[in-house]
Amino acid sequence: MSWLFPFPPRLPLGEGFEALNEWLKEHFGGLFDAIGATIDWSVTTLRDFLTEPQAAQLTAIAAAVLVAVLVRARPIPVLVIAGTAVALYVGQAAFALGDTLVNHSPPQLFLWAMHLFGQDGVESNLVIGIVALAALVVVAAVHRIRLPLVAAVAGGWLVTILCGWLLFDAVPGVIGQPTATLVMLLLSALAWAVAGWKLGVFSLVALTVVISIGQWNNAMSTLSLVLVASLIAVIIAIPIGVLAAYSTVVSRVVKPVLDLMQTMPAFVYLIPAIFFFSLGAVPGVVATVIFAMPPGVRLTELGIRQIDKEIVEAGEAFGAPPAKILTGIQLPLALSTIMAGVNQVIMLGLSMVVIAGMVGAGGLGNQVYQGISRNDGALGFEGGIAVVILAIFLDRLTAAVTRRSPQARAEQAAAA
Amino acid sequence: MFEVRGPEGSGTGPTLTPRIPQRHVTGPEEEGTTPKTPCQTRSTEEEAVPAVRANHLYKVFGKRAPQAVELLSDGRHRDEIKELNVTAAVIDVSFEVQPGEIFVVMGLSGSGKSTLIRMLNGLLPPTSGTVEIDGTDITALSRRARRALRGEKISMVFQHFALFPHRTVLENAAYGLEVRGVPRAQRHERAAHALDLVGLGDWKSHLPQQLSGGMQQRVGLARALSADTDIILMDEAFSALDPLIRRDMQTQLIQLQAELGKTIVFITHDLNEAMRLGDRICVLRDGRVIQIGTPEEILNHPADDYVARFTEDVDRSRVLTAASVMEPAPKADSADWDDWERVEPDAPVAELFQRAAACDNPLAVVDEEDRVIGAVSPSTILSALAMPEEQENGVVPAPVRGERREEVRQ
Repeated sequence: MSWLFPFPPRLPLGEGFEALNEWLKEHFGGLFDAIGATIDWSVTTLRDFLTEPQAAQLTAIAAAVLVAVLVRARPIPVLVIAGTAVALYVGQAAFALGDTLVNHSPPQLFLWAMHLFGQDGVESNLVIGIVALAALVVVAAVHRIRLPLVAAVAGGWLVTILCGWLLFDAVPGVIGQPTATLVMLLLSALAWAVAGWKLGVFSLVALTVVISIGQWNNAMSTLSLVLVASLIAVIIAIPIGVLAAYSTVVSRVVKPVLDLMQTMPAFVYLIPAIFFFSLGAVPGVVATVIFAMPPGVRLTELGIRQIDKEIVEAGEAFGAPPAKILTGIQLPLALSTIMAGVNQVIMLGLSMVVIAGMVGAGGLGNQVYQGISRNDGALGFEGGIAVVILAIFLDRLTAAVTRRSPQARAEQAAAA
Repeated sequence: MFEVRGPEGSGTGPTLTPRIPQRHVTGPEEEGTTPKTPCQTRSTEEEAVPAVRANHLYKVFGKRAPQAVELLSDGRHRDEIKELNVTAAVIDVSFEVQPGEIFVVMGLSGSGKSTLIRMLNGLLPPTSGTVEIDGTDITALSRRARRALRGEKISMVFQHFALFPHRTVLENAAYGLEVRGVPRAQRHERAAHALDLVGLGDWKSHLPQQLSGGMQQRVGLARALSADTDIILMDEAFSALDPLIRRDMQTQLIQLQAELGKTIVFITHDLNEAMRLGDRICVLRDGRVIQIGTPEEILNHPADDYVARFTEDVDRSRVLTAASVMEPAPKADSADWDDWERVEPDAPVAELFQRAAACDNPLAVVDEEDRVIGAVSPSTILSALAMPEEQENGVVPAPVRGERREEVRQ
């Protein structure tokens, strides 16, 4: 008992935390390495795509969108195409299966395209994507499923590829940063499609400003970091929020933990994050996930709890199992609240980027941090403005998604 | 369910409780065949299995619920067990609903009727007692089996409609079938048929919030009808509607029930509605059953002052029928019957005013084979319309075997 005196004894809280971290790293080091590698790969891939999009990647995205559009109407052919394409991609990545196939095909198939676009080789991934895309368009055309939408996606893909080709090769010297301009146009088109022409015009102007202050690559680096962190945070937050909505016990346990996560100074997360994941983008992402997650959990719980009890009861009264009530009633009706949470998660994630820049996450945070350390007001301000533009862009975009939720559409229908 | 009651020696317990259903269930047709104690649940195979049967149901919310059930089963009022810190919503409720019957549970707010209806389809587990649906004890089923049974046999209409705002009217109406895994085209066809039945065939692609309250509740009704269950539970289904629309909906419900022959358990706080819809009415007060009987029984033989006070507001001339007010036909001058105007036994008294006043003779109440079974004179009508306490014994012949319930509580 002597250790109790003098009365408030020194409590080794911090030392305990350190010891816990070391124990975790010693026993679960492999797990942390795997997590770190996955996060790093995601951030790098996304950043590379945003700074230098490849035609093959764009084609794959267009094909994926078409699969999502068509899979409900004609599941079997669409899934066969998607499965084959995925298998070919994997085969290409693992043992250059695509290259082998291309080399064994008649060269006339590819020569004209190589001449047209001035290429001296064939990219197998692009070929796989184009074939899948064409097959999907044929399926849609034969069965006459949602033709306008399919035409818009396929046409958009074609326009993008041609734009890229024009920007790079046809009109050299007119556009200073062709890749950045291309991505800027794509992001503006996305904003226009999701949120209307006003946000489209805003994006066009604001993102052009980002290019012209020379922060485009940093901005895309930050954007990829924020998107990956937000995605992880949302994937963790929504199930916890659902559990908390179902169980008062979970809710009571989770609440103080969320309070801690949100109020703990964000710098503190960086210390164990560096300890586990060393310097770079990964500790930045991890710290951002922890800091940004709470509103996702809270608003998911709130969204589900505030649904009229009678509506859930109606599902039960007709014999719906809990999973069907969750996915068919509770999540759709809570979606606008959950999306408000996702919006908050993204905003909090953006607010973390400067801090993450301190640990070498790169991007705009790094610019601002350099501005501070070099007393360079111009650099700091430019980095800051780019963060603001990204914030407005992401906020309006998620808000628009919220407006398109089923519940919101029902409310609009009632008002009309 | 008897093990929850007090030890055998504890005063009135074992003798009082089994008697309650005997005194309460006074429905004309099943009297005598009604099982007197819940122990004999399956012993009466010779009669039709009731669509719904509640056996000494208790629902007590709170940690000390079992103890509370023990005390309440001795006939105590729920206010007497306040110190247990529990809420006794439903206390010792027993009844049977026959197939094709509209059974109305009437009570004011706080009388436990919403809790009761949620125990009937297993949304709430009873603290004690059992619920049988077509002879199956749903309280003994697994959750999965109970869900399946709910989907196949019972649907429900809610007070505030409880439509899914993100689904169209048609998808709402098809929900019960969707849960059961009926293919899309087929369930939409059946849902469309149900919507046609309630007169909403042109609104299929609208969202619920674009519809008025009455129309929304029709969608709720169509959702219950399309599920094609034999039993429909209606929880104050028309209480949130305007009086005129409510009347339309009641008429429509009666028509639909006559067409489709569903078994309906209808909850309401409005005795007029209960009288209009119910084949039989169960009056609840403070969680206990006060009286179960046909509208005429409730009106003419209210079990206690509480029920009597309710009946004051009822338009008696619409509830009472020629058969329920008629006097025995005078036997002597049977030759004169040819001159008497004939009325059907189930004609409401309201329709007899004019005819009784127009002719000198009493009206002859005749059955399907034109046999005179009673007579109705203007004075019969007048005395029948008087409140029961104003009636002298013998003025109104008791048409049914309603019994006055002795007060359990002092």
